[in-house]
Amino acid sequence: MTPQFLSDLAAIAGPAHVLTDPAAMLTYECDALAHLRETPAAVVLPGSTEEIAAIVRLCARDGVPFVARGHGTGLSGGAKPAAEGIVIALSRLNRVLAIDIANQRVTVQPGVTNLEISRQVAPFGYYYAPDPSSQQVCSIGGNVAENSGGAHCLKYGFTTHHVLGVEAVLPDGQIVHLGGELVDAPGPDLLGLVIGSEGTLAIVTSIIVRILRRPEAVETLLAAFDTIDAGGAAVSDIIAAGIIPAAVEMMDRTAIRAAEAAVHPNFPDVDTILIVELDGPADEVTALFDEVQQIVRARGAVSIEVAASSEHRARIWRGRKAAFAAMGRVSPSYYVQDGVVPRSRLPEVLHRIRALEARSGLRIANVFHAGDGNLHPLICYDDSVPGQTDLAASVASEILTYCLDAGGSLSGEHGIGADKSAYMSSMFAEDDLAMMMRVRAAFDPHGLCNPRKLFPTPRLCGEVPGPYRQHPAEAAGLAERV
Amino acid sequence: MIHVPDNLIRAGVDAGDVRTELTANDVIDGVRPQLAVTPRTAAAAAAALKWASDTSQSTVIRGAGTKLDWGRPPQPIGLALDMRHMSRLVSHAHGDLVATIEAGARLADVNRALAAHNQFLPIDAAFADTATIGGILATNDSGPIRHRYGTPRDLVLGVELATADGLVVKSGGQVVKNVAGYDLARLMAGSHGAFAAITSATFKLAPVPAASATVTAAGRLDLLDVLPALVQHQLEPTACEVVATLDAVGGRARAWQIELLIRFATHPAAVASQVSAASALAAPHADAVDVLRDTDEPARWNDHAAVPWSTHATIVRLSWLPADLRGGLMEIGEAISGASGDVRACVIGRAGVGAGTMTVSGPLDLQAAVVTMLRASTHFGHVVVLRAPAPLRAQIDPWGPMGDRTALVASVKRAFDPKQILNAGRGPC
Repeated sequence: MTPQFLSDLAAIAGPAHVLTDPAAMLTYECDALAHLRETPAAVVLPGSTEEIAAIVRLCARDGVPFVARGHGTGLSGGAKPAAEGIVIALSRLNRVLAIDIANQRVTVQPGVTNLEISRQVAPFGYYYAPDPSSQQVCSIGGNVAENSGGAHCLKYGFTTHHVLGVEAVLPDGQIVHLGGELVDAPGPDLLGLVIGSEGTLAIVTSIIVRILRRPEAVETLLAAFDTIDAGGAAVSDIIAAGIIPAAVEMMDRTAIRAAEAAVHPNFPDVDTILIVELDGPADEVTALFDEVQQIVRARGAVSIEVAASSEHRARIWRGRKAAFAAMGRVSPSYYVQDGVVPRSRLPEVLHRIRALEARSGLRIANVFHAGDGNLHPLICYDDSVPGQTDLAASVASEILTYCLDAGGSLSGEHGIGADKSAYMSSMFAEDDLAMMMRVRAAFDPHGLCNPRKLFPTPRLCGEVPGPYRQHPAEAAGLAERV
Repeated sequence: MIHVPDNLIRAGVDAGDVRTELTANDVIDGVRPQLAVTPRTAAAAAAALKWASDTSQSTVIRGAGTKLDWGRPPQPIGLALDMRHMSRLVSHAHGDLVATIEAGARLADVNRALAAHNQFLPIDAAFADTATIGGILATNDSGPIRHRYGTPRDLVLGVELATADGLVVKSGGQVVKNVAGYDLARLMAGSHGAFAAITSATFKLAPVPAASATVTAAGRLDLLDVLPALVQHQLEPTACEVVATLDAVGGRARAWQIELLIRFATHPAAVASQVSAASALAAPHADAVDVLRDTDEPARWNDHAAVPWSTHATIVRLSWLPADLRGGLMEIGEAISGASGDVRACVIGRAGVGAGTMTVSGPLDLQAAVVTMLRASTHFGHVVVLRAPAPLRAQIDPWGPMGDRTALVASVKRAFDPKQILNAGRGPC
């Protein structure tokens, strides 16, 4: 990187918005997958789409790689910098640009948090549906990059179902508009391609989302089971009955105990709990909630707790959403997996994971979106014990093979990023990946936009797949995990 | 008489699946292809496309042919890749609400098979009796139940493609939640066969609703005020259609006639309560309110699906902001009043989504003027001419401007189809 590049960067964004001091760049070394870290050559914090376009043109001119970054909550190292490149941090682009309640559309900049959209439209009785567990802090731009889901995506879908349009800067600095306020732009769905492309095709600079009217009624229950099979069978029966709940979540004993210790949701101490939430018109919810309770009882639930108030419901969800953070209290380190299996094969895969737990000697807590088969096994280990980090990595890798054996996927919502790119060849054939790389080259012929992500490259020496480690900002007391 | 090219057979295409004597049934929007290949496997489809690339054959991929006249009139066609022999329901994982279907399967046949487990692929595209899965995904066509279920791009989970350079590639998967790799399945939606041949696709399914009924309401423009009230009252219809009709006779436009069709399909108790709530909301604004049940209901929806296609006039697809429909209709009214001859304009669409079709009949110059007006309108956008009398098609580009994404679309097209053999210039890319 030349001094000329840095001075041109400062001329575009203003000297105050260009960081080159390693201490100042500490926050930008990694995302929430903190063991994959790299110090970039510089960090720039642009204030507008035009500045981003000018920065990207500058990168194209000098062949400098760039990585866009939202709020750094990603769990696959997707925002890991390139050592020879710059990080384009989008945190200053944090304005809600337009709220159109009559047409159920909100236009935001990428640095707006997911929850902020719902906060802004709540007074009108609306909300933004995708709800990743990190929704209080994650950016909507990051959600677009990862096609984020959440607990309620079984019924409501993912980010791709709720984004109507984006403005984006292409790797040559050109500004394009994909989709828009109006639906049905003619031609191939480039918007659908860019959503979930993990920042490798473009930098999204503004986003039009669709908001939903709050449903008339919500009912939530928590059922306790003695076996994971009984819980899994209840989920299958609910789906077979033609009921699509808003959310179906499961946690096993290890996860239940950790959540209980951390946030005291008053969960029963059993093998498995199942959380089922229904929403919609009141008469529909009443009738189907009754059916769900009958199914759960018939499958041998040892207890059923129905949320009696919105506070009660919030307490149940707090227990579920705090599960990851809770593991940090009971284990020095842990590694979160994100594999997906067909819903009907959940019990079989969970048995394999339990057998692996017994064989490996590492505790594995299971917290997962049972409705859509998205597992989140948390592999607990102690990185101060020699060999345990590698053991955790190999356990994580083995769980991914179980998911693929069952006809599933490497990732349901966290993305491939830098973490799982080496596994892509086990899910996709060479030709599949070759076609995807050709598409990438159509956007980014010089490979400058978030390089070395998503596609398999040989792992570097000492690079292991992603156990949890403390983020430098956490270590410095500047941030905490929610 | 054209011989089956030896190199086509050597490329891996079964000689029995090649036809050189094509009939009127093979004509694609007025153009008779030289050769048709009807592959039975993805590998054979890829081999045929590779042959076409190697020998520079202009190629059109086709299914039932229900929408082959959408888009620009084709240039000469060397090869028609006819997907109708790939028509299997490959798998129905009913416990997972997922099905994998070959591209040439008819939607109607697929849904008959899925009904065995009380599930369906919730797409009600045009010509739903004969349209095939591949064509529906490639055009991303949908109908009234889009209001609840979205369009094919919202339901597709994965695809298998045969590419122009002879690869068989997959994207996505067989599970409902999956973010691994680029989403080439969604990229196919709206590509109209210009990127690759879809050989099979995996979709998310829905349970067949236990009960259904439809509220119909007829009135004038004020009836549109019912639409925001439905949302405000937290009603959740499966479809919410508007049919707006304007007749002008001898240069004088009559008043817009508005009809709403609001369908509720869910648990019987919730159908009953929502039907009565919607009827009560509509009554003050309507001249007549009715509720359709049992056999009356599907009959009415079948008629509704046929309405736009029953005319020989111009049919466009268009979009609008849902709350802006009244302004758009008034603008159309102004464009039509003063026209000579008898004119009928009809907007039929998804009132809650802001998308549908418009038909306009009457003098040709007026049909052209209305399309031009719609393209310049601040109330409507994405105006695509689906069908029009021949003189009009020669005069107006059916797709309209593609905006600042034009170069990007062309670049992605080159990545898939480096020899530019696909789609015979029919567009949109």
